[in-house]
Amino acid sequence: MRLGSVYFALLGAVTLACGFADLMISISGEYCSWWIVEVPGDMFRGGWGGLIVLFAGLFYISGARNIYEIHQLSKVMMGSILIWLIAGCDILARITESIPGGDEGWFNSMEGFLGGCAPPYFPAMLLLPFSLVVIYYIRKVE
Amino acid sequence: MSLTVDERWDLIDRISRETVTAGEYKETLTDVIGEITIRPMTGIPVVIASLYLFWSIFGSFAGFFTDGFFVKFFDQYWLPWWQSHFPNTWEWLYYIVVGDPLADNCLEAFGMLTSGLFVAVGIVLPAIFIFYLMLTLLEDIGYLPRLAVLMDTILHKIGLHGYAIVPTILSLGCNVPGVAATRILETRKERFVMMTLLAIFVPCGAQLGIMQQVIPETMGLVLLYLVIGYFATGFVLNRIIPGKSPEILMDVPPYQKPLLRNVALKIWMRMREFFTNAIPFVLLGVLMVNVLYLAGFIQWLSSTLSPLFVYWFGVPEATVGPLIAAFLRKDLAVAQLSVIEMTWYQMVTAVVLVSIYFPCLATFVMLLREGWTELLGSLAVLIVVVTVYGGFVHLVGILAGVA
Repeated sequence: MRLGSVYFALLGAVTLACGFADLMISISGEYCSWWIVEVPGDMFRGGWGGLIVLFAGLFYISGARNIYEIHQLSKVMMGSILIWLIAGCDILARITESIPGGDEGWFNSMEGFLGGCAPPYFPAMLLLPFSLVVIYYIRKVE
Repeated sequence: MSLTVDERWDLIDRISRETVTAGEYKETLTDVIGEITIRPMTGIPVVIASLYLFWSIFGSFAGFFTDGFFVKFFDQYWLPWWQSHFPNTWEWLYYIVVGDPLADNCLEAFGMLTSGLFVAVGIVLPAIFIFYLMLTLLEDIGYLPRLAVLMDTILHKIGLHGYAIVPTILSLGCNVPGVAATRILETRKERFVMMTLLAIFVPCGAQLGIMQQVIPETMGLVLLYLVIGYFATGFVLNRIIPGKSPEILMDVPPYQKPLLRNVALKIWMRMREFFTNAIPFVLLGVLMVNVLYLAGFIQWLSSTLSPLFVYWFGVPEATVGPLIAAFLRKDLAVAQLSVIEMTWYQMVTAVVLVSIYFPCLATFVMLLREGWTELLGSLAVLIVVVTVYGGFVHLVGILAGVA
């Protein structure tokens, strides 16, 4: 039980930091990329999306204590749902942008497609695998 | 035999005691998630996230088809084919059907079979399809009633209740079903306020699709102006329109998995409306605007209304033409605006004006079906709002140093 609480508290803190970074960078209007992470500087993905990542962090932190209690677990689950939502939109956007071929033809080449889907990724996409842990706890509680 | 009210209640009690057995209720995770999405503290972040999901998927999907394939098809194959195969290059028929012979893209050509089809099929069709898919999913999952509960307090400030969010969201697809859905509101005052706000401030999916295509960077500002106008006008109308806005009890169903058959059926019904109503209207719109241009009517109207447009609204007088087109199709009007030379803030003002200007013909007919009084009242409010709010948008631009 304690392990789950510590895990989601930590994940919450990291998610909160990512959301805050998204917001700050989008307010500054700068695009930021480091190693496999990139933070968009636009108000839609960075600002609006960053705000949702921030909310996800708050859900995780508020639900981390006593995680087997159904109300607490539902907050953690909501945090994960928000991450899935943002990451899902990011993944869809990458795929839809990588398929058309632009000036060179109707469809992109395989290399071009894979290049479009390659890192760096937005923070929510990197948080996605970590957010899936909630499924284990849902199964356990149910 | 007649029973008094007390006797009836006693009878109901007796029957229910004998027939109803209360089992033990065990809260499930779905129930708790349902509660979370209704409480303001936790529900508002979920609303913000749902709207993000809506617009992000809308943008990705519509962009994929329009930018990825339709733009290329219409600009590189469709337009050149018509330009080279349609006879009598400089004749009026060519101008109406194919449009400008020197245009190199379908947005600028403005012929019935070039711009008309490009706007209807290349831009609006993907936008409308994904909009209705998302709306149907939100509806069938059971999220819309929760959104209505959350919006109830805010919408009461403008004399409406939470369910007014349903016609508003429907209008984001098309104003026609939105106006029809105002019948779920109880009083005449509520219906009038809702219809007026829909006709003025809620852009349809077609218009949103084309805004996403031609002014992606400033679309947020246009929408912000429309949201502010929606609430400010609603607030004023609530104060001046006599009548009641009663409280209602809302039934919030549990979350459920959408059924593929239901989703497909709803989308098909809504898309059928688009094919039968919108596409002919777009083509007819291009035809009429071209005829009005050829007859010199739009040039005359532009010069007549020039002082109002140039000095009061701060937009070029050439925007009069698109405003005429807006009466037939607003998406068409935005497409026309995109080829007029102006500053980015003038474009924002012009798109806001197109949005809040007369409702399109289909909505106009729908308003008429609700009654003459409602139609005339809505139009009176509309004329005042367009003049005042259009001037306000210009004023904001002047104060911000961008107009």
